[in-house]
Amino acid sequence: MASPLRARVFRTLAALLLLTALLVPGSAPALAADGEPLVLRAGTDQDLQVLNPFNSVVVADFEVYTLNYDTLVGWGQNIEPVEGFAQSWEQSADGLTWTFNIRPGMLWSDGEPATAEDARWTYQLVLDGQETTNGYLGEGYLDGYLTNAGVTSVEAPDAQTLVVTTEFPNTLLLQAYVPILPKHIWSQYTIEQIGDVTAEGFFQNEPPVVGTGPYVAVEWTPGEFIRFARNDNYWGQQGAADEVILQHFASPDTMVQALRTGEIDYVRGVNGDQFDALEGVEDIATVEGFANGYTELSFNTGGTKEGYGGSTPALSDVAFRDALGYAIDKQALVDAVLNGHGVPGDTIIPPFHTRWHVAPDTPRTFDIEEAKRRLQAAGYELNGDNRLLDKEGNPITLRLTWPDSESENGSIAPFLVEWFGELGIEVDAAVTEEGKLIEDVTGPPAGPANYDIYMWGWVGDPDPTSLLNFFRTEEIGGSSDSYYSNPDYDQMFLDQRAESDEAARKQILDDMQQLVYNEAPYHILYYDSELHAYRTDKFANWQNQPADTGTPLFGYGPWGYTQLTAASDEPSPAPSAAVPSPGATSGGEATPAPSGGDDDAAASSGSNTILLVAGIAALVAVLAIGLVMMRRRSGVQEEE
Amino acid sequence: MGSAYLVRRLASAAITILLIVLINFLLFRAMPGSPERIILRGVPNVTLERLEATRERWGLNEPLFPDQFVSFLQATASGDLGFSFVARGQTVGEVLAQRIWPTLILFGLGELVAIVVGLALGAYSGWRRGGPIDFVGNGVSLILYSAPYFLLGMILLLIFATNLGWFPTFGMLTAGATYSSPVDRLVDFLSHLALPLATVALGLIGQYAIVMRSSIIETSSDDYVTTARGMGLKDSRVLRHHALPNAMLPTVTLVAINLGYVVAGAITVEVVFNWPGLGTLTVEALTARDYPVLQGVFLLLSVSVVLANLAADMVYGVLDPRVRT
Repeated sequence: MASPLRARVFRTLAALLLLTALLVPGSAPALAADGEPLVLRAGTDQDLQVLNPFNSVVVADFEVYTLNYDTLVGWGQNIEPVEGFAQSWEQSADGLTWTFNIRPGMLWSDGEPATAEDARWTYQLVLDGQETTNGYLGEGYLDGYLTNAGVTSVEAPDAQTLVVTTEFPNTLLLQAYVPILPKHIWSQYTIEQIGDVTAEGFFQNEPPVVGTGPYVAVEWTPGEFIRFARNDNYWGQQGAADEVILQHFASPDTMVQALRTGEIDYVRGVNGDQFDALEGVEDIATVEGFANGYTELSFNTGGTKEGYGGSTPALSDVAFRDALGYAIDKQALVDAVLNGHGVPGDTIIPPFHTRWHVAPDTPRTFDIEEAKRRLQAAGYELNGDNRLLDKEGNPITLRLTWPDSESENGSIAPFLVEWFGELGIEVDAAVTEEGKLIEDVTGPPAGPANYDIYMWGWVGDPDPTSLLNFFRTEEIGGSSDSYYSNPDYDQMFLDQRAESDEAARKQILDDMQQLVYNEAPYHILYYDSELHAYRTDKFANWQNQPADTGTPLFGYGPWGYTQLTAASDEPSPAPSAAVPSPGATSGGEATPAPSGGDDDAAASSGSNTILLVAGIAALVAVLAIGLVMMRRRSGVQEEE
Repeated sequence: MGSAYLVRRLASAAITILLIVLINFLLFRAMPGSPERIILRGVPNVTLERLEATRERWGLNEPLFPDQFVSFLQATASGDLGFSFVARGQTVGEVLAQRIWPTLILFGLGELVAIVVGLALGAYSGWRRGGPIDFVGNGVSLILYSAPYFLLGMILLLIFATNLGWFPTFGMLTAGATYSSPVDRLVDFLSHLALPLATVALGLIGQYAIVMRSSIIETSSDDYVTTARGMGLKDSRVLRHHALPNAMLPTVTLVAINLGYVVAGAITVEVVFNWPGLGTLTVEALTARDYPVLQGVFLLLSVSVVLANLAADMVYGVLDPRVRT
């Protein structure tokens, strides 16, 4: 068998050599020749598994459908309502009826007319979702946009008119993040095939997707990338990109390298260290925007009441929770946990919502002595062992937990243990598996409400309503995890929802934020930052949404994509100065860092050189060890 | 090959696979947190009725033994691994099918390159013990053996992709590229394959060379080698026909056992180069708590390790007549 084996080995070797020979010349493919489409490649750490909008869960899923489809009302630079599938709209005098005027002559990407009937059919589908066995469509994230707005019926009297009736007057309908789908495609499927992934013949909405958005998906490799081509039938302004590719990365490190090499043009989902390393790199701009959300420390305000599993009645005491707020150094948490990329938290509407966020009237500062004073004033005494006693005379031990999916929360825990420890409160910190945690923190009667304090975060919608919802009494047993209950708050929630006047609504929202801040069912620990970076040598006119606090892409609607211009179209000297973008001139959080000069480029290549040298040094060191070991061997065999 | 030997091996492999299925079943049911909550993750306003309906629908109200286990066995036997939580509308089978080929290509080629180069290097080093090839080869082998895959991968990526720009940093093909000919496509594929393949191969070459070297050294002092030399055979002929076949045995075992470790390495190499294989799938399924997919990956990987060992036993039988009885 020796001879054939030898021949096989030879053939294999020859084949490998051939492969290597193929590899060496040219190496990296030169695919972006002239006449090729101008492709915008955006990297994300999130999975790209969804083209059916009803299954959207993560931000990337929403980004996908917002490119494919229009919402009834669109999103401007400052998240304000702009034309979308509808050109204009008016609210009836009693505030209960909305009439939307659908753009005449609009076409789907496949050339079929896009009319009010498509919008009616889509909204009706979402409403019908309530009647299915699940009680919602897909993952259940889109239904709320219509139910919160109290939509009761929807009609299309003619091709250009959509009439929506609501239960109570409100403006939430203008913020409904529900894509308008082509009836002629989607009505071929049953509601189960649209909403239920396990249904026979489930509709994945595979490419080519038919939509009215600026780009439509034409290629999809699940979990890897989705490629979108320009929709030639799009009604609005289109960006310079002929194609958009959303690319998934399993490792943010690799994603950052791909941005450096220019293989991708945009990254979302990098951590503070990676972000800092990108600052000042030539042809790369970094942008730090506010995330529409926060990380909080939640209290089981039900305490030891019937149906609640708290360990001490102190949890139900506003004064106790208030005092603990003075023992949290939020700035220290931002610095230690987020590398400084965030801001200390206060009220329940994050500053991302520039129109609605309000700072607290009486902010708590980090002051352990003040916390002690307040605890004492509220009647909490220390025992001989320096342990704080609750009103029943028992030493207070708080169980602190957080979901295993959030490593940042785990980094916060030791700080809280120490700070609360200084108040004489023992903190028993332990992580909990996410699924179990969701069950533990569900309130009565649906769940055991079995925790004392825990950390997690929330992410909001374009409208703050969803972030206000889970402090309502009726949400206990549902989305409420602090079991906060205050009739004033409940009433204000309904009032603000029905208030069409922005100034009046703002006043109510201010009061709600102050109330929750003061009564402290949550201590908002920090507002995270959205850390994005992009290349400036291929596309220009990157615009943040919102201008002051946002990022160019992964915002609301396709606005950022439609503003892009080709960098080659810009006047050659100082391209960044040619078109002053609001982001570049506004200052503050969201200002893109200017492209660095030679110094920065040298610094970055310098760090790579160090790495290279270190690698070689390690190689030499190991070789030396090998040498010593070899020398020690005896009986060296003779050469032939 | 004796049929008794074959039957024994097959039977033990079958029993092992059954145990794996049982462990796979128990492991995922021992996880904390209730499955209906994971299925309904993030859904706002989950009511008691909805939870109950979900439990009913997914058969979670049935007792674990025998009902759930029997239906699990039936489903697994018929190839039904359930639906992925994350890849909405796709079965676990479909998800695995998409990801298995990239891994097979990467690690199949990697093993092949490593076996050829590693064994050749090891055999030559051992045969010419103390020579310059041995000196350099053994040193390099030690480094490669000890370097973790992700470190090796990251170093290659930084040097050859980021700094020199010779190869792309990620993926298996350029996303969305249009190719004028199949050759272009092949070139694009190969340029993406180069760095991950080099990482896998380099990592394995070190191990194979070291084992092969010591094995050859041991063999080269055996009587039959001395006899062969004494008969005046050419040195290269002694190596290939007398020393090598006997020295191969430990390496075959190593290659087979390695398959399990290759899987561990697959995860890091694939993640570093964003290679769309089972490794990245495992990491993604872990972070997203896609239990059905994880269960499928575990099953697939553990069964393939069993099968690889079975194959090694067979090859062993061919190489060494003594184990055939």
